[in-house]
Amino acid sequence: MESLQTYAPLGDSGAQHLVRMEGLSKVYPNGTVAVQDVNLAIREGEFLSFVGPSGCGKSTIFKMITGLTGPTGGMLEVLGTSPKQALKRSDTAFVFQDHTLLPWNTVIDNVTLPLALRGVARKEQRTEAERVLELVGLKDYAKAMPRQLSGGMKMRVSIARALVSRPKLLLMDEPFGALDEITRQTLQLELLNIWRQDRKMTVLFVTHNVFEAVFLSTRVVVMTPRPGKVAAVVEVPVPYPRDENFRTTPEFGQLVRAVSEGLKH
Amino acid sequence: MSENIASQNLNVDMDVQARSSDSRGGARGGVSLRLRTYGKQLLPPALAFAVFVGGWELFCRLAGIKPYLLPKPSDIVHAAAENAPNLWVSVYTTISEAVLGFLISIVLGVGFAVLLASSKLIERSVYPYAIIMQTIPIVAIAPLIVIWFGAGMNAIVIIAFLIGFFPMLSNTLVGLNSTDHNMKNLFHLYNASRMQTMFRLRIPAALPYIVAGLKISCTLAVIGAIVGEYIAGIGGGNGGLGYAITVSASRLQTAYLFACGLSASLLGIAFFLLVNAFSKWMLSSWHESEMGSEG
Repeated sequence: MESLQTYAPLGDSGAQHLVRMEGLSKVYPNGTVAVQDVNLAIREGEFLSFVGPSGCGKSTIFKMITGLTGPTGGMLEVLGTSPKQALKRSDTAFVFQDHTLLPWNTVIDNVTLPLALRGVARKEQRTEAERVLELVGLKDYAKAMPRQLSGGMKMRVSIARALVSRPKLLLMDEPFGALDEITRQTLQLELLNIWRQDRKMTVLFVTHNVFEAVFLSTRVVVMTPRPGKVAAVVEVPVPYPRDENFRTTPEFGQLVRAVSEGLKH
Repeated sequence: MSENIASQNLNVDMDVQARSSDSRGGARGGVSLRLRTYGKQLLPPALAFAVFVGGWELFCRLAGIKPYLLPKPSDIVHAAAENAPNLWVSVYTTISEAVLGFLISIVLGVGFAVLLASSKLIERSVYPYAIIMQTIPIVAIAPLIVIWFGAGMNAIVIIAFLIGFFPMLSNTLVGLNSTDHNMKNLFHLYNASRMQTMFRLRIPAALPYIVAGLKISCTLAVIGAIVGEYIAGIGGGNGGLGYAITVSASRLQTAYLFACGLSASLLGIAFFLLVNAFSKWMLSSWHESEMGSEG
């Protein structure tokens, strides 16, 4: 923790690293090594995926970034400060596999939640909510209740709720894991479109789906379990916009193979 | 890109239309069907009731049983009609006591539950005693309440409140403590204060549990009011059903006693149905337990 002071906060100059990990480790009290010696610098505007089987520590890394649990070794810096401080700044947003919508609130009240908790004026809450609902194609469903929506629509609302606070860092923990393949692919495209409209936004995306990781990301971090380690970092040098055709190119196949190779270690 | 979202919108539209037309279709074809199902549901119990009452009447007439031992159903109706003004006053008194006690048990039960749930330390130190309190039979402490608050309305309301308090407290507390873990995490990550988490997440999420508590406490409050009247009943024309029951028992007015007892149970049923309707209305938009068409 004391090493934090030795790093200069994010300035206007130089490469901007939104998240930095140096020798990051996490050992649980029962002796399980969840994360071991992870070194990673995440640039602003990146779309970075963590891919690996369950138990490889990707979720633990996420928990540490959000400050839900602290590292037991190494250095972790988020938005130029400690994870807990970064959380207080409200520049981070979250999407989980579970949509976590409040069932007693309408769609729009669910979307405005992060702003309401911060005490933003009602009028501004509404304008921002309408903006993001338009972005996810649900502006006609502002008054609907979550239970009236399909799984894919609920996930869109969940994404809208994350975007409403115009985050610098968007953390997504297997957001499409519970959806069917068709909905999943549609949402992948929509997510890329949304991200490309705001290239300042950095997305960290956890998945166990190699195809999803390659399709979406600028970089794929391949992790292996027991102990949770970074096995490889695969750059995806394919320009955006990417569309459905990308999935069938030889390049896509090669990248998927490269990531899969990393998983075998 | 806009094409993409547009086509997605279309899918979404179709999805919702399919859902809503489903439910509309159900309603349209349902009117005569519903009447028939109601008939099927109501007819057997109504028939059983008629057979039971008829058999009772016949048995009493044929066996020549004395009315102060077992009155005929016709005697009961007659006694109720004859004493209608008195009966009405008794019912009215009991209703007011039960409703008042019930309302206090809601306010204090939910209030204390929120207090206990907001601090693990308070919960751990106080809740065991709340359980012990619950195991003390209300009849045992009723005389004490009469000593403290005097015979009459006050004591009766307090007894009605005490009997409904614990179900409200424990149900609400269970509800407040069973908030979904992911939701709590979400609120934490968005920097929600304890108060915000309580009022925007934990209390709404506990509503189904609170409602279950309401359903238990409302019938208990009626019982509490009548028990209270046994012990702390006020005499004269303003006595409640419990008082009327003790009086008619001592005078061997068995038919009127039956009428009072039946009124008390009708009162309990009406109170329960009212609370039930209220909870349905309150949860209908979101909670599975009260969604008629899908459930």
